[in-house]
Amino acid sequence: MDGTGKGGAMIEIAGLEVVFASRGDRVRAVDGIELAVAEREAFGLVGESGSGKSTVLRALCGLAPVSGGRATIAGLPPPRRRDPAFARRVQMVFQDPFSSLHPRHTIDRTLAEPLVIHRLGDRRERDRQVEAALTDVGLDPGFRFRYPHQLSGGQRQRVAVARALMLEPQVLLLDEPTSALDASVQAEVLNLLSRLRRERGLTFLMVSHDFAVIDHMCDRVAVMQGGRIVETLDHAALARRQVREDYTRRLLEASSAHAPLALQEEGGA
Amino acid sequence: MANVLPSPWRAWLTSRSPRSRRQAWLGQLYLGWLALLRNPLALLGLAIVLALVLAAAAAPLLASQDPLAQSLPDRLLPPGSPGHWLGTDEFGRDLWSRVVHGARVTLYIVLLVVVTAPVFGLAVGTAAGYFGGLVDVVLMRLTDVFLAFPRLILALAFVAALGPGIENAVLAIALTAWPPYARVARAETLTVVRSDYIAAAQLQGAGSLRIITGHVMPLCLSSVIVRITLDMAGIILVAAGLGFLGLGAQPPLPEWGLMISSGRKFLFDQWWVATVPGLAIFVVSLGFNLLGDGLRDVLDPRSAGR
Amino acid sequence: MSALLEVEDLRVAFDTPAGVVEAVRGLSFTLGRERLGIVGESGSGKTMTGRAILRLVQPPGRVSARRLAFDGQELLTLPERRLRALRGRRLAMVMQDPKYSLNPVMSVGRQLTEGLRRRERLSRAEARRRALAMLEAVQIRDPERVYRAFPHELSGGMGQRVMIAMMLIPEPDLLIADEPTSALDVTVEAEVLKILDGLVRERGLGLIFISHDLPLVSRFCDRVLVMYAGRVVEELKAAELERARHPYTRGLLRCLPRVGGPRGDLATLTRDPAWAEQGAE
Repeated sequence: MDGTGKGGAMIEIAGLEVVFASRGDRVRAVDGIELAVAEREAFGLVGESGSGKSTVLRALCGLAPVSGGRATIAGLPPPRRRDPAFARRVQMVFQDPFSSLHPRHTIDRTLAEPLVIHRLGDRRERDRQVEAALTDVGLDPGFRFRYPHQLSGGQRQRVAVARALMLEPQVLLLDEPTSALDASVQAEVLNLLSRLRRERGLTFLMVSHDFAVIDHMCDRVAVMQGGRIVETLDHAALARRQVREDYTRRLLEASSAHAPLALQEEGGA
Repeated sequence: MANVLPSPWRAWLTSRSPRSRRQAWLGQLYLGWLALLRNPLALLGLAIVLALVLAAAAAPLLASQDPLAQSLPDRLLPPGSPGHWLGTDEFGRDLWSRVVHGARVTLYIVLLVVVTAPVFGLAVGTAAGYFGGLVDVVLMRLTDVFLAFPRLILALAFVAALGPGIENAVLAIALTAWPPYARVARAETLTVVRSDYIAAAQLQGAGSLRIITGHVMPLCLSSVIVRITLDMAGIILVAAGLGFLGLGAQPPLPEWGLMISSGRKFLFDQWWVATVPGLAIFVVSLGFNLLGDGLRDVLDPRSAGR
Repeated sequence: MSALLEVEDLRVAFDTPAGVVEAVRGLSFTLGRERLGIVGESGSGKTMTGRAILRLVQPPGRVSARRLAFDGQELLTLPERRLRALRGRRLAMVMQDPKYSLNPVMSVGRQLTEGLRRRERLSRAEARRRALAMLEAVQIRDPERVYRAFPHELSGGMGQRVMIAMMLIPEPDLLIADEPTSALDVTVEAEVLKILDGLVRERGLGLIFISHDLPLVSRFCDRVLVMYAGRVVEELKAAELERARHPYTRGLLRCLPRVGGPRGDLATLTRDPAWAEQGAE
């Protein structure tokens, strides 16, 4: 089934606004953004805290209120409370692997639950799929009956990725998927995500504060500030540092403090 | 003490990679048990509660006489009398036998309350916390109304309306006991409902019922269990209070509150008639309280985990 | 002048039901009035090292060392009262998240001046003048407003600057900064680091900068200790980072993505159990 909208875009956002009202204050977290992500594209949103980047993701999947404009993924609007069709197309990986897995559920239950909800397969078929999913994200099937607190941060995030893929969605929304991880573990998880995208032809919409991570993963990047997109860049432009906005330039400069230095090849060591 | 299990069993229970759901679950249970073992007072509480259960189950074997058999020549014998080591009451009934049989009544009340009030409170509290908005307002104001009445007074009113008797006493207690559970469950729900794993479940298409029963309730359960054990003492006291006022269990049933009530008339000259069932209430209440404190340390998700 | 801080064979151990876990295993270094970076991933023992120096490790943690001396005074045997006096004045620590280090129900001004007035018996006006000057030194544009504010009214970057100001008011000789910028946005981080750098240079204090971010630390410090599993696996001059030899250090640098870098898989780190066994040299 072809789930894309008219223009061939998998994700379409037009004039999206998200306004949170709390105690009389109205906070405009997302202030009219436009973007279209093609099928199988990886698109990144980068910005500082409060730029509204995570809110865009949450609005897309119904976890934040859409106050104005339109947003669709695979032709579907954000679900209200329960929407099985949406769940089978779009899944999300959260930032903090310590809080995105239920502390009292075994890994087995966490991974099998989406199949149970959608009544996919019998018990034996589900068992097989859970083991396959663990292997696919590089975890030993021996992890299956452990609890989240018995896993390291990187292993938890692998489980979260496996859970998001249980229903074989077309779109993955990634909310800072590696910012709670050590650098070496981040590399492993990013490699895993890239491989899964290649193998399954996934569309990614990824959010991060880390320009280097976003650029490594995505074909195009939108820079967000104060709820708006200030600039959209592709990989080639970023490599040549062809940026228009001062804000983008400042972000790039600041993130270069974290960039690795060129290593000298080992000689006579 | 932790090493009483033969080592293959222990290895199986503490395995880092369990091979089945049951093994994982039993392993968690075993770890909880080990934590409970480290708390001697909680173990004392557990022993008292187990003794209550045992006494109730084996009452006919433990009792030396028929708890209802009257024998007027033997009335008001002091403790230590031959054949009646705890003495007798005003009808010559053996106090030890009556206290042991009274354990059955107490346990019956406790069980009936446990399967009603906390379950109802848990359902109300989690629903209010999860749905929020109008549902929350309506359910919690209703809870407040029940909470506003003093417990014994409300129970009295219910029994007065429904008529005296043990089942009605239980019903009255349950109707007055659920609001605190609803409050605890709602507070606990509010802390988990915003978490990412609930959002993840919603995104997977899980319905509200599945999320509440499968994701929210297990996290509220530990606080509710702790609350139940701590509440038990109060429930036993209210049941005894109703019995004492003649609104709960009816004579000649050996209910501890009722026994105190009838002993009141002889309190100054034959103190044991009221004191023996009083001590039973005291010990059992203390046992539940100690167990509750220990369980709080074991089950509290904030202290466990990581 | 002799070294500001001498650490020899520092160990931090925790008793757990599963046995003794050693978080820091035989760490040695000396620090002058310089900027030393301690880098490692989670579980490497870097945070415990910082806390152990200030004797802030809570039981069941145990700290031992052949020598742990600040300006010639042995810290591990120092009575608690004298240690507290030292901690308030000459030793200071900045932690990761200012939200947890500032008292939420006390105004910034009161927190800044409280110590001053107690220790140096300054008048209210004089303490206030010193606090405002320090807020200016950490480049807070409107020190009067921040002085009156409560911690929740400050942004993350502002809160961290207040923390730094608070730690620097007594003019300490040694500052331990544990991930002082990792809760901050990158643009704010750059500013906070610049402020910290300026203060360290001007006042000539010793700095221990603890972080997971090797490139950042090497740009900011004179010397870097790379920790793995509670030991130092490599010690480097920061300027010579690209000449790192240890496979762990090299792996840490290689696994990072770069803006405009190649798209292939990132290099991953294969951990060699031998790393945990042998220390540097």
